[in-house]
Amino acid sequence: MDRYEIRLGAVGGQGIITAGALLVDIAVEKEGRHALESPTYTATVRGGPTKVDVIISDKKIIFPQASKIDFFLCTYQKPYDLYKDRVRDDAIVVVDSNLVPDLGDTKNWKLYKIPLIHEIKKELGNIVFTSVVTLSMTQKLTNIIDYDNMVNFVKNWAPKGTKEMNLKAIELGRKLV
Amino acid sequence: MSERKVLQGNIIVAKAAISAGCNFFAGYPITPSSEVAQYLSKEFPQMGRDFIQMEDEISALGACIGASLSGKKVLTATSGPGFSLMQEHLGFAVMAEIPLVIVNVMRGGPSTGIPTKPSQADMMQTRWGTHGDHPIIVLYPAFSDEIFSETIRAFNLSEKFWNPVILLLDEVIAKAHEDIEIPEKKDINIYKEKVNVIKDLNIYDRNIGENPPRVDFFKGYPIHIDGLEHDSHGWPTSDPVIADKMQNLRMQKIYHYQDEIIKFNEYHMEDAEIMVFAFGVSARAALNAVKEARDEGIKVGLFQPLTIWPFPKKALQERFKKIKKILTVEMNMGQIKYEIERVSPDDVKKKTLLRANGIPFTPKEIVNSIREFTK
Repeated sequence: MDRYEIRLGAVGGQGIITAGALLVDIAVEKEGRHALESPTYTATVRGGPTKVDVIISDKKIIFPQASKIDFFLCTYQKPYDLYKDRVRDDAIVVVDSNLVPDLGDTKNWKLYKIPLIHEIKKELGNIVFTSVVTLSMTQKLTNIIDYDNMVNFVKNWAPKGTKEMNLKAIELGRKLV
Repeated sequence: MSERKVLQGNIIVAKAAISAGCNFFAGYPITPSSEVAQYLSKEFPQMGRDFIQMEDEISALGACIGASLSGKKVLTATSGPGFSLMQEHLGFAVMAEIPLVIVNVMRGGPSTGIPTKPSQADMMQTRWGTHGDHPIIVLYPAFSDEIFSETIRAFNLSEKFWNPVILLLDEVIAKAHEDIEIPEKKDINIYKEKVNVIKDLNIYDRNIGENPPRVDFFKGYPIHIDGLEHDSHGWPTSDPVIADKMQNLRMQKIYHYQDEIIKFNEYHMEDAEIMVFAFGVSARAALNAVKEARDEGIKVGLFQPLTIWPFPKKALQERFKKIKKILTVEMNMGQIKYEIERVSPDDVKKKTLLRANGIPFTPKEIVNSIREFTK
């Protein structure tokens, strides 16, 4: 595979940059591929619009930012408006149906509207798990990394005492899509 | 075995500095360079090396100068606003011939500008930021493996030539986490020169074009270190004959060795009719663009300088014998384009792609510009 581009958009503090970092770590450390994560954020990190571009490829990655996005996931209106411009016409797009009410032109996207943050609060009790839920949704919809590799990596990565909750987060991500 | 891992650009700089034998860091944290300091603040104390956070960038470089004078390999890391504050001490380090490495991760400017967005607008500041005629070496990597190797090279050149070396990065490559094959220790070449004890007071005495020796300024005979023009003892002088010799000594220690200092990469240049000249993140966009344009049958290549200063004039002039079109891509309002104009003959057509709003050029934009240039 030449180059697969993923963009995750949110507001600072939601854990999206962690999700991007996990994707890259799994692709490189578990699968021996080339991967790069390029985060962008504003000076006010918490609450400001933020995004992370993840590029995964079997070849060395040349341009380090996304320019033709294959998969876009966004949990808030402002980053959605700011960062949807480079999404391909036939991309897979996931939005939080409560927090991104105004979609505008949805082109030929394969679109998933999910009450993501609401579900995470309800099912897991804490939005700190948004990163792993997002990771799991991305894995399921793109198959860009292997499911077992993801689960094994998350088990080792999870901070002490959070392994079970993170595995639940993986399950929730799969259930939502 | 070399190891392959995911590392942030700034962390690659810090790891390479450790490999290069850097044993002193003084700095003041600033976005988008802070991770260099953050990483070394954890690692250095455990390794018995020195880390100090100063009250500002002026004192940070001052502390580096002091440590370097006592034989330490020193590093500081900053961004535009901090680099501006360092200019006075930078000039002193050039004048007193003190080796040190400054990392400048460029962000939007002028002043505090756009802290979290990339720019390539300190290109000329690295050359002429401090006042007076002075030699300077500036390196600018683009890919993760180059960040490692150019950091090592920055220390080597600084040690060899007794001169400050500036390592430029832009926010994109400094903040991106990318896979990198860290070379094995045996494959990393470190320039080592014995730090000499001063036994001869004429420490600045040498012939033009000769490398200076590395000395520990605090061991052996007490000597004078001055920002004023000085004689071979380091004592202030305004004697025009000595001043003339010292100016030439400082300039020629770099320019005499420029073939060794200047490094660049070329891609698809064999039969190119158009040359794209780009560095840092712009070079990475340009390389994608060159490949796309090649698929359309356009004969275009990329010249990516790793050494910005001294400028690769000789190499470019050689290419200009055949290539008559050059497209300069830079994230500023036009800086290196003037250097291109200076070194290129009149029959070479010049085009630029310039922008300074914090958004890097995409390959598509560069392809469009290449297409227009074929007309």
